[in-house]
This record gives sequence, C-alpha cells and structure tokens, in this order.
Amino acid sequence: MGLKDKYIQKSKDSWNKKKTWHPLIISLVLVISLAIIHKAYWVSNTETNPDEIWGNKQITKNGNNWTIDFEEEVGDSITFKGILRTAPKFEVYRNDTFVPGKYSEGEALVYSEDLYGKTMLNVSGIRILVNDDLSKQFYVSEIITIKATLVSNVSTFDNNGEIITLVREGWVAEAEDINLSSSKDNYFFTAELLIFFTGLYLSLKRVTNLREQTGLVWHLAKFELRQGIKSPRMIVLGVIFTLFIIGMGWLLGDLQNGDPESAFFVQNANGALQQLCFFVFFVVSLAAIGVSVDSFHKERQANTLNILLAKPINRETIVIGKAVGLSLVVGIPALVAQILGLMFMINAGDFPSFSGIIAFIVCGQIMIFTLVCFQLCFAIAARSGTDVVMYGLGMWLLFAVVWNLLIYAISFALGIDVTADDFENDPKFQSIASHMGMLNPGYVYQFAVGLLTHRTLAIDLEGIPGWLILLALVLWPITCLRTATKLFKREVRG
Amino acid sequence: MTQNLLKIENVKKAYRNHNLIGKEISKFSALNGLNLNVGKGQIYGFLGPNGAGKTTTIKCIIGILEADSGDIIIDGKNIKGNGLYFKNKIGFLPEQVGLYGRLTAKESLQFYGGFYNLSDDLIEKRGKALLAKLGLEKDSNRRVSEYSLGMKKRLALCIALLNEPEILVMDEPTSGLDPRGVKALRIVLKDLNKKGLTIILSSHVLTEVQEICSHVGIINNGKLIREESIDGIRKEIEKKSIRLLLKVKEFPEKISNELAKKKRIKSIKQKNNGKHEEITLELKEENIPWITDFLVSKGIQIFSIEPQKNSLEEIFLKETGGD
Repeated sequence: MGLKDKYIQKSKDSWNKKKTWHPLIISLVLVISLAIIHKAYWVSNTETNPDEIWGNKQITKNGNNWTIDFEEEVGDSITFKGILRTAPKFEVYRNDTFVPGKYSEGEALVYSEDLYGKTMLNVSGIRILVNDDLSKQFYVSEIITIKATLVSNVSTFDNNGEIITLVREGWVAEAEDINLSSSKDNYFFTAELLIFFTGLYLSLKRVTNLREQTGLVWHLAKFELRQGIKSPRMIVLGVIFTLFIIGMGWLLGDLQNGDPESAFFVQNANGALQQLCFFVFFVVSLAAIGVSVDSFHKERQANTLNILLAKPINRETIVIGKAVGLSLVVGIPALVAQILGLMFMINAGDFPSFSGIIAFIVCGQIMIFTLVCFQLCFAIAARSGTDVVMYGLGMWLLFAVVWNLLIYAISFALGIDVTADDFENDPKFQSIASHMGMLNPGYVYQFAVGLLTHRTLAIDLEGIPGWLILLALVLWPITCLRTATKLFKREVRG
Repeated sequence: MTQNLLKIENVKKAYRNHNLIGKEISKFSALNGLNLNVGKGQIYGFLGPNGAGKTTTIKCIIGILEADSGDIIIDGKNIKGNGLYFKNKIGFLPEQVGLYGRLTAKESLQFYGGFYNLSDDLIEKRGKALLAKLGLEKDSNRRVSEYSLGMKKRLALCIALLNEPEILVMDEPTSGLDPRGVKALRIVLKDLNKKGLTIILSSHVLTEVQEICSHVGIINNGKLIREESIDGIRKEIEKKSIRLLLKVKEFPEKISNELAKKKRIKSIKQKNNGKHEEITLELKEENIPWITDFLVSKGIQIFSIEPQKNSLEEIFLKETGGD
C-alpha cells in the first residue's frame, strides 16, 4: 500500500470513527461556507475599504486655487461598509463646535453655517457628511453600511490672509441611507446558527444513552455542589470575593461622579460595569482554581475514582459532571456577589444597560465554568498535588496579574514605543491588546459584556468584531472542557 | 459443563510514558496475550506474583482500562463498545477502598446507587438489606471517615452489590482485614455464590483462595500459566509427597543414615531448636504409620508429629518459578 493510499485509509478510518459527530462536522463545514459567502456578499455589494478611497484623494494646491479630487466621478454613488470611528454625537456640527470660514484638513472641507445640524461621520477612515443629526441614532464602534454620493462644491476661505478658492469633492449621504450591517448580518447569523444547532441536535441524537448520561451529569454535579459548597475553603473564599466585589462595585459607582480630569474617572455606568468584570474575574478565578485544584488528583490519591470508574458512567460524563458541579460551587456565591456588587454600583452611580447586566451575570458564569474546566485539565494531567497548585496559581498569575505586562512586552517587540505618553490610545497597541485579549478568558468576559451593552453585535471593539468575541466566549469553555475530557479519556489507554 | 461467562482472549496491554509532545518514551507490557475462562457460578481465584498483571486484568474487565488488543467477552458479547451495558452487570471491590469520608454509609449508597437505573426507594431497600447482611446496619448513619478499614471494605462491598451484579470482581479483597473480617467476608462470598453470583478475585493469600475458590488461574508476566479447578489441584496435591515434621528427644546419626537409605523416604532434614531435635521427612501420606512404627521400634521418643501438606502455595511457586 502506497503512502497516499495509507493516508486515505487513515482518513477514512478516522472519519468513520466519528460517526456520531458527522452531522455536527457537516454543519460546521456548512457554517464556514456560509461565513465565506457572507464575507463575499459584503465584498461584492459594498466598498469594504473606505479608507483606501479616502487615502487616494488628490489635494492640489495651485496658488490660490485648491482642488480636492477623488478617483471616482462626481455623481457616483458607493455603498461603504465600515466602523464608526467616533461617536456621531460628537460629530454633529453646532454653532459652538467650529468657526465658519476655516478650512479643516482632516475633514477636507471649509466650515460654513450650512453645516449646522449635519453630521460628519468617520467610517473606517473616510469622511462622509450626513445631512442630518445622527446623535442617538448610531454609536461609536458600530459597523454600518452607508450609501454616499460624490458631490462637488466651491468655497472660499482665509488661509493666513490669503483667500483660497477650494473646488472640493466630498461624500455626502442621507440619514435613511445608513443601516447597521446587522440588518443583513442577522440573516446570515440566523442561518448559520440554525445549521449549527441542527447539526448539533442530530449529533446528540446519535449519542448513545444521552438522556441517562445527562441525568448522571446532574447527579454528579449535585454531589460536587453539596460537597464543595460546605467546604471551609469555599466558605473563606466566598466571603473574601463577595466583600471584594461589593467594595469594587461601590467604588466604581462612586467614581462615575468624580472629577472628569482624574485618571480614575469612570465615564459611564456601562464602562463601570466592564471594569467591574475585571475585578470579578480577578477574585472569582482564584476561587475557581481553589475548588477544582485537587478534584481529580485528590480523588486519585484517595482511591475514590476507581469505584466511580467502575460505575456505568462515561469518562466524559464524569468530567462534565464535576465541571458543572464545581462551577456551581463557585457560581452560586459568585452570583450573589455579582448582584450585591451591582446593587452597590448602581446605588452610588448610574444604571448600566439591562443587556449589560444580563451579560455581566451570564458571561460571568460562563467564565467561571471555563476556568474550572481549565483547572480540571491540570488536575487530570498533573503528577502531584504540588504540580496542580503551581499550575493553578501560574494560570491565575498569568491571566489576572501579568497579562498586561505580556501585552506591553509583545507590543514593544512589535515596534510600539510603550514608554511614550498616551501609547495606550495608539490604535496599533489597542489592536494587539484586544487580539491578545481573546486568549484570556477574563478579557473575553470583559469584551463580551462590552459587546452586549450595545444594541447590536455589528460592532468592532478595538479591532475585534463582535462575532469573534462571541465565538471566543463559546470556544473557551468548549475547548477547555474538551481538553479535560480528552485528557481523562486518554487514561483508559494507560 | 459450566457455561462460560467471562472469556479473555489473547489480551495485550501495555503502559506507556509520553513526553510533553506526546511521543512515547517508555513502554511496559503488563499483559502479553492473556487467555482466561470463567464459568457461570464459579469463584475464580486469580493468582500471580507482584507485577504479574492481576490488577491490570481486573481493570480491563471492569472497563477502567482498555486492552490494546484481544477480546474480553462477557456472556457472549465483546465489552468493546458495550462498556456501559457491562458495567451494569459487574460489581467491583478495589484493593484500596476509597470512599467519600464526609458521607454516611446510607448517603454513600444513595450516591453510588444513583449511577444505576434504580429508584431512590429501591436503593434504600437494597442498601438497608446489604448493610444488615454485612453488619453495618448500626453504623449506617455514621460518617465513613469514622469507619475502620474493615468497615470501609464491607461498605464498598455493599456498594458493589447494590446493582445486583452478575459478576463480582474483587482485587485483593482481604488485604487489610483482620482474621474475623476475613472469615466474615468468606462466609458472605460463599453465600452470594450459592445464590448464583460469579466471583472473580485476585489475591496473594493462597490459603484464602484455596478455601473460597472453585477455580484458580495463575498468571505470570501477563500470561496465564495454569487454569484449574480447585478439586483438580487438590487431587494433584494428594498425589504428591507431604512433609512430616517430627519433634524428638534425640536422633542418632545411625538412624538418620538408615532412614536415608529407605525408598519410602524422599528426603530427610535435621535441625536442633535448642529443646528438641526437629526432623523433617518427605514421604507419601500413606507412609506415616510406617515411619512412626519404625521410630518407636528404634526407641526414639517422639514429642510431636505434624504433617505439613503440600499446598497451593507450592504449586504457585513452582508455576511462577519461585523457590
């Protein structure tokens, strides 16, 4: 048998082994195909590089006659797709925002009283003048489609005593020509979700004894919960993290009323909520490690695992049951702490968005489940109790304490001057920080709450699209759980 | 002929060590083509020196480990792919009993019983009967952490029997038990066996195997060396010579030499214990009256005669290459 035939045979065997998961695998392939079609739809129907068009404009300064020309013809209409770089409410021209008769290089136009009440949008770098007040209609970071038309006009302005005539081409749009990209994305997302859940449903239907095993997961989870919630370790950790979260909630609420110039000023309740997420993560992650640190390892040493393994329960079910149970051990006190923290924050400051509050609680529980599963991987794989503790503490230190230092180090290595003032506002730095954040469950939690405080998923948080954040939120627990089950299942092979 | 309940065919199992990238760095073969047959209703004793593969075999039978190759067939069905089905039919008592210390015996039974398709009432009813049978009824509301090792073993046995298994697999069931515990366990096992339960046990205590088991399998280096009914082994023992330990006042060299020349005596050893002369003679059981007559006729004062029968231990040592 040739190498090629061997490879084909191996692939066939591997495919046949996964018979249960065939519908899910097929659905994932379909979802990926649909996602590619989704991307192709936007690329073929919209201009997805607006900054390129803006960058290709020609500014000619010929004495007192200046011209601004685009490569497109006047009257051409293009539908752009991009991210609102600044909040429209700060971009509405009012009589106190500019001095008429001045030329703005950034916006490539001369200010005039005609602009009052209009909005100059920055859509992924291109400037588009909208003949309406868009404040409260659209928000920063939202991904929109906007049909704009290239127009030309002539204006004059005073340039240090010289009267300049500017023949300017610029993009204008009407308010009704702007849509959130989610108006189309939602069709694709809904179809993708339907395909995925159909595949998942069909696969789960093929799992033997699914109902029994689900019952056993709950049986084991209840047992872990009863054992864990009464443990002295959890009582101490629970009290500590509840007090900490309450304290930080109260502080973040109070800081909303502080001095806007202060470094610790919190702009609004949604921002405060996102910051509270970090503090929740900071202490709850330690508790999650604390309860699961010796789960499998301790059981192996105490020989309780052998009797359990001889019972009619899958190894996967044991891991899932323990993960669910231990997550509840931390999750229930954490839920109380989250609610108390929120109450103190709202009492001292403003009320965050309702979707944000739900996300704060739900995503918090997902984060706890993720960390428990992550720790279970160590507990299963480690050779000694010391290893488990060291790995757990290492994980906590990495994710909760030194992550920022890691971001600075990588940014520095990529050529960003991290000693410069205001480097944290550098878009390149923000992009690195947010992309790296996807690798940290705590950051994913913060991002997810930030995303869900908005009204749409069609937003972009510092270079990370909303769908990617949601994907990370789903993939983190699944990957950790899968790794833990795989590690535990591997033991059956000795 | 007894119907085969468990059949192990050419089972191989190796333990592997991997490095961080998952590459195999060492391998130890625990089972090297093991074959075994356990009939329905048997008490099958599984013998072998340390590292022979007894625990590995047991772990493969109950599904804690997966054999690398070969088949484990229970009641005509291969356990591969039917693990959960068979786990419902097997009860397991490990050597090192690990139970959750914070639970009481009743709670332990409820917890482990929850893994079977049994109602809470049935678990309680069966649990109560088992606790009574194994003498734990009075302690059923005490925390397991307060139990002695023997009590823990008995509770673990209750747990193993809760689902009314067809096969009970026990790894060194008497280890750590005091003689009273061993005796009690023996009675319980024989009683369960009478009711139709097939029992497979591994043990180092050969007298225990000899007393409890109906069949014996000896393994060494992961292979079955011998499989025999205990009756068959008894017959073999009877055919063989026995040793006779005599304690006498004096044993002159002349008589010793004379005896050594006799065909009926296979070997003779002499030792002074400070008080008596200890003479160990190897001869057939039927020759015991002859030797006593002979010694008395030579004026030897005999203080005691202790026949030392050949036992399973000798067969075990012979089969496994021990001294």
